[in-house]
Amino acid sequence: MSFFLQYAWLIPALPLLGFALITFTPLRRNKLASGWTATGLMGLAVVMALGLLVGVVGAGSTESHAATTTTETHGEATTETTESHGEAATETTETHGETTTATTESHGEAATEHKAAFTFPAPVVVQRFAWAPAGSTNFAMGIYVDTPVAVMLAMVTITATCIHLFSIGYMAANPRQSRFFSFISFFAAAMLLMVLADNLLLFFMAWEIMGLCSYLLIGFLYERPQAYRAAIKAFITTRIGDVLMLLGLVYLWTQAGSLAFGTAVGEIFNPEFLQRIGTETGFMGMTHATLISLLIFAGTVGKSAQFPLHVWLPDAMEGPTPVSALIHAATMVSAGVFLVARTFPIFEADGGMALQVVAIIGSFTALFAATIAVAQYDIKRILAYSTLSQLGFMVAAIGIGGWVAGMFHLLTHAFFKALLFLGSGAVIHAMEATPAIEKLHHHDEYAAQQTAQDIRNMGGLRTKLPWTFWTYTAGYLALAGIVPFAGFWSKDEILAHAMDHGHPIVYAVLTVAAFLTAFYMTRQWRLVFFGEFRGEHPVVFVNPEHQAEHHHHHGHADHHADDHGHDHGHGHIHWHESPTMTAALVVLASFAVTAGAFNLPFSMPGGHWLSHIWGQAGVGINWMVAGLSLLIASAGIAVGWFSYRNAFAKAQDTDPLDARVPTIFAMLNEKYRVDEFYNATVGRLTALLALLWSFLDRVVLDGIVNGVGHLTLFISRVNFIVDDTLLNDGPDAVADGTNAVGRQTRKLQTGRAQDYAAYVFAGTLALAMLYLYVIGK
Amino acid sequence: MGLITISTDIPWLSLIWLSLLVPSVLIAFIPDTQQQLMRIVGTGFAFISLVLSLLIFFAYDPKVAGFQFVERLDWIPQIGITYLLGVDGISLAMLVLNGVVIFTGSLMSWNIESRAKEYWIWLLLLTTGVYGVFVSLDLFLFFVFYELAVLPMYLLIGIWGSTRKEYGAMKLTLFLMAGSAMAIIGMLGIYFQTGLRTFDMIALARNVTMSAEYQRIFFPLLFLGFAVLSGMFPFHTWSPTGHVAAPTAVSMLHAGVLMKLGAYGCLRAAMWLMPEGARDWLPIMAVLTILNVVYGATIAMAQRDAKFIIGYSSVSHMGLVMMALASGTQIGLLGAVLQMFAHGIMTALFFSVVGRMIYERTHTRQLPELGGLGRVMPFAAVMFILGGLSSMGMPGFAGFWAEFAIFIGVWERYPLIAVIAALSIPITGAYILRAVYSVFFDEVKNPEFLNLPKLTWQEYSGALILASILILVGIYPGFLTDMINMGVAPIAQQLNDVIVAGR
Repeated sequence: MSFFLQYAWLIPALPLLGFALITFTPLRRNKLASGWTATGLMGLAVVMALGLLVGVVGAGSTESHAATTTTETHGEATTETTESHGEAATETTETHGETTTATTESHGEAATEHKAAFTFPAPVVVQRFAWAPAGSTNFAMGIYVDTPVAVMLAMVTITATCIHLFSIGYMAANPRQSRFFSFISFFAAAMLLMVLADNLLLFFMAWEIMGLCSYLLIGFLYERPQAYRAAIKAFITTRIGDVLMLLGLVYLWTQAGSLAFGTAVGEIFNPEFLQRIGTETGFMGMTHATLISLLIFAGTVGKSAQFPLHVWLPDAMEGPTPVSALIHAATMVSAGVFLVARTFPIFEADGGMALQVVAIIGSFTALFAATIAVAQYDIKRILAYSTLSQLGFMVAAIGIGGWVAGMFHLLTHAFFKALLFLGSGAVIHAMEATPAIEKLHHHDEYAAQQTAQDIRNMGGLRTKLPWTFWTYTAGYLALAGIVPFAGFWSKDEILAHAMDHGHPIVYAVLTVAAFLTAFYMTRQWRLVFFGEFRGEHPVVFVNPEHQAEHHHHHGHADHHADDHGHDHGHGHIHWHESPTMTAALVVLASFAVTAGAFNLPFSMPGGHWLSHIWGQAGVGINWMVAGLSLLIASAGIAVGWFSYRNAFAKAQDTDPLDARVPTIFAMLNEKYRVDEFYNATVGRLTALLALLWSFLDRVVLDGIVNGVGHLTLFISRVNFIVDDTLLNDGPDAVADGTNAVGRQTRKLQTGRAQDYAAYVFAGTLALAMLYLYVIGK
Repeated sequence: MGLITISTDIPWLSLIWLSLLVPSVLIAFIPDTQQQLMRIVGTGFAFISLVLSLLIFFAYDPKVAGFQFVERLDWIPQIGITYLLGVDGISLAMLVLNGVVIFTGSLMSWNIESRAKEYWIWLLLLTTGVYGVFVSLDLFLFFVFYELAVLPMYLLIGIWGSTRKEYGAMKLTLFLMAGSAMAIIGMLGIYFQTGLRTFDMIALARNVTMSAEYQRIFFPLLFLGFAVLSGMFPFHTWSPTGHVAAPTAVSMLHAGVLMKLGAYGCLRAAMWLMPEGARDWLPIMAVLTILNVVYGATIAMAQRDAKFIIGYSSVSHMGLVMMALASGTQIGLLGAVLQMFAHGIMTALFFSVVGRMIYERTHTRQLPELGGLGRVMPFAAVMFILGGLSSMGMPGFAGFWAEFAIFIGVWERYPLIAVIAALSIPITGAYILRAVYSVFFDEVKNPEFLNLPKLTWQEYSGALILASILILVGIYPGFLTDMINMGVAPIAQQLNDVIVAGR
């Protein structure tokens, strides 16, 4: 196992190699080869990550007895460390419930009044080297592997590999396929590097590079103005969060003197340091810890698309579907959650104020996004809002101190949401091959794609795409929270934690969100896979961008339509599921079914596995919460099923919800008009300021400059008059004399530039020689 | 020991500036018809100067630190003027920057045909002056070179420029002359008020004998006099118009190196020689630089001319440099010098793409008229995007490290200013992406653009050199940070002592 531990850095290096190979070698000319290279290298990274996980878990359990002298504990010892709040847990299991050990006391001074401080399991691999040596301020960089990192690495590599595999089939028709693989490999490398980072600066660098890749991939189909605009929007919106995060890092740096993870002196989780920043007041009565945490959390709000910076994620669906699955569902957006998890001791240091904000934002987003998802028609946008909502669950979980619950949900969600996105990709891929949409495709590619994504135009795909149907169903049940699918366990852990630790409001909000989740997913699942196929006469997307160009391309489009006219017969739709795509779906579906087993809330062999290896207390099962949430999920499914059982006989029908409460439906459909609000306020204000300041620069400042110029000119005129009339004769004589001398000298001069230059050069050279060999010695 | 050892008998620093004075003379001999020869000579010597700078850079002994390769000759001993050259970590970074920019700038000048001889002469003379400033340690000599660097600009813009070139050239010259006038007064103030009657900066800095009152009077003169050249608000309006009007290589040198001369002067002459003046005035300067940073970035958003966007982005980025100088902290100064380097390379890359690759072919820089050039010249698109990424502080590019160090440095002294200045980061992202979109990705607005001439090897190689430096420094900034830190440490130390003493 030491091989995997020693070479952990290979995990990000492998996809980076893939990126380099595809970008800089002739491999890029071969679409298939580039795809398989990227996938193969990701597959190798999976092997490395799994090896590392086994190695790290093994090392953790063997060291737990040997290394008890250190201030940090790991493995089994830490399982009991955070048990001091056991009194709130109604159902804690025997092994964990009984005692608070001496370990808790040793951390007591860093602890806030009512509970023991959170501690990470000890790192197993730490490799660092000087990066930007600059005297005392040394930016060291390296990797830092503990058990949460190892688990994240395994998750990221597995989902990334599946998505790479899927993309080979999905992107086959795209002429820029190799560029696509080069970008997503680069992205995967950045994500893995971020997870491995040993300090927040490297974390931030990888985080920004992910943002860049996200931008490049959302705008991958840059011929479409919508795609490019969405890319810019995503970049700028997340950037606002990132800037605040950067300031948070700067703040933390000035307080701690470094950004390195670890509990040693000078590192950011040092107990004395945490206690200091948790008590010293920084600004407006808030402690340093609160301010730093909130600034860092702004990064999460941007990256994990929490309210109010959530607006970019739904638009990011303009990117190709595998991108949505990889970046905007499984990995990058959950990096924000990972950030809070990674810096949790700082959030906790101020006694709960920062975490309260985290919990509020998280639970609000969970509910807010779930309501919007109810009224969307675009299959990907529904999933996007669902992602927002689920990320809200994770953020809220961490906000109420449910560190394990939040991370656990992050893992399961990554698998089943990637699955759902890829499934939607398979559906869209098949829809695009239907005659009505193919026909539209010749006129307007973008409108065709949007039409293909509209769930009103689907229906009955259960029999046509069986593999997709069954795998999608697994993901759907996991998301809806049906036992024993993965999502049930992790969501239940969050809810149980909220209930057990006295956060009834969070519990209530998340429960409502869970009900809505089951409802909107049933609506989608029902409309896509059941009923009759409605795609022969679709609701056609009207592309506002296309109107102007329409005539321009018209002749061209007609020509194509004629060419393919024979395809347009009825009943000859060729439904197709590509084998690579199906394989990826099956792998992810198996995780969607089983991933809950990683942290079952029972005390049995293998139960609480994640809590155990992460060195945290496991939340035992709360039968009431579990039963209730199962009931609520089933209710959501039932309501969804019966509401939409007879809806949409044809694509143009009105949504039953729309028919019943049109005003609410319209508001939800328009996403509460947050975008419009931002455009009208922030957008307009910025534009106005830019114009105003530009005006200030051109007219006022330049006006002053020009005014001074005119004044000077005026003074010179006056002076000239004085000069010309009064003071003329003397200078004139001087001038005459000079002229005369000039005339004489001119004879020496040939007037050719070469000759002057020769004199100058000779002189310079002579001086230089003199200096070099005589004076300089 | 530096990485390499070179003989100390040779006056290397003099050779550096001579290596550009010589070709400017040589070119004068070349008949007008032999333009190709002028180009080869000019570029060749520019390359030699770059090699010499790199040689010094690698031969500098980081263990010893301080000034090295010192050359000292009495020049006018009666009034204490010496020919005194020497380099420390700060000047080394600037020497390499100037070498790179003049070499790539020469490559981008191969298309100049009208009055090519004079063009090359002035261009090389200008750079001679820049090299001279970065190596001189005598205040008077510093000033002589400074003027040599500034004056040719008028002709270069006035003759070979575009878009209101006379106005741009005149405005620039007047502003810079006004700045020089202020700086001269400041310089004379130092000369007389210290009572040392010497212009030797090492001696002046070793024992600051000037009283705090006089420092308070002369510091703003010297600082602002140089700050004009670095485009500090409200003395910045010459800079965008000047950048726009100038021919490509001149824009590159101007934004890339000349504006750094200003900041270098502020640091080397004003802050180093008058620490107590600095202590009292820097907070005010810091407030002014907020305007540079945020205001410059916002104005850049409203521009339609691609060169104006870069011009205002320079105002914004140089504002960050000045802000970091005004912080006076060691890491802030480190960030400032690193940003000078990073911005110099980046902006040179921008101008070579916009001014040379695009404007020389399309004859327009208006965003609404361009579009779709990414398909026609993908190389230019990639280069512009790389420059843009560095500009918005993307990790992996030189600009990131500079900005990070600057924000830490500024936060240590003025947290609120750092917060306000951070506003510029998303704005920068917005205007860069907007420019990228309208120039390279929007639909092609002018069908003629589909058949533009191919890029030449000079354009390829010049841009590649600049882009690789951005990435190299971005991936391993240790190349520069160690060196720069050694240079700024004594200045920061001195300033800190004064601040502590003043409490």
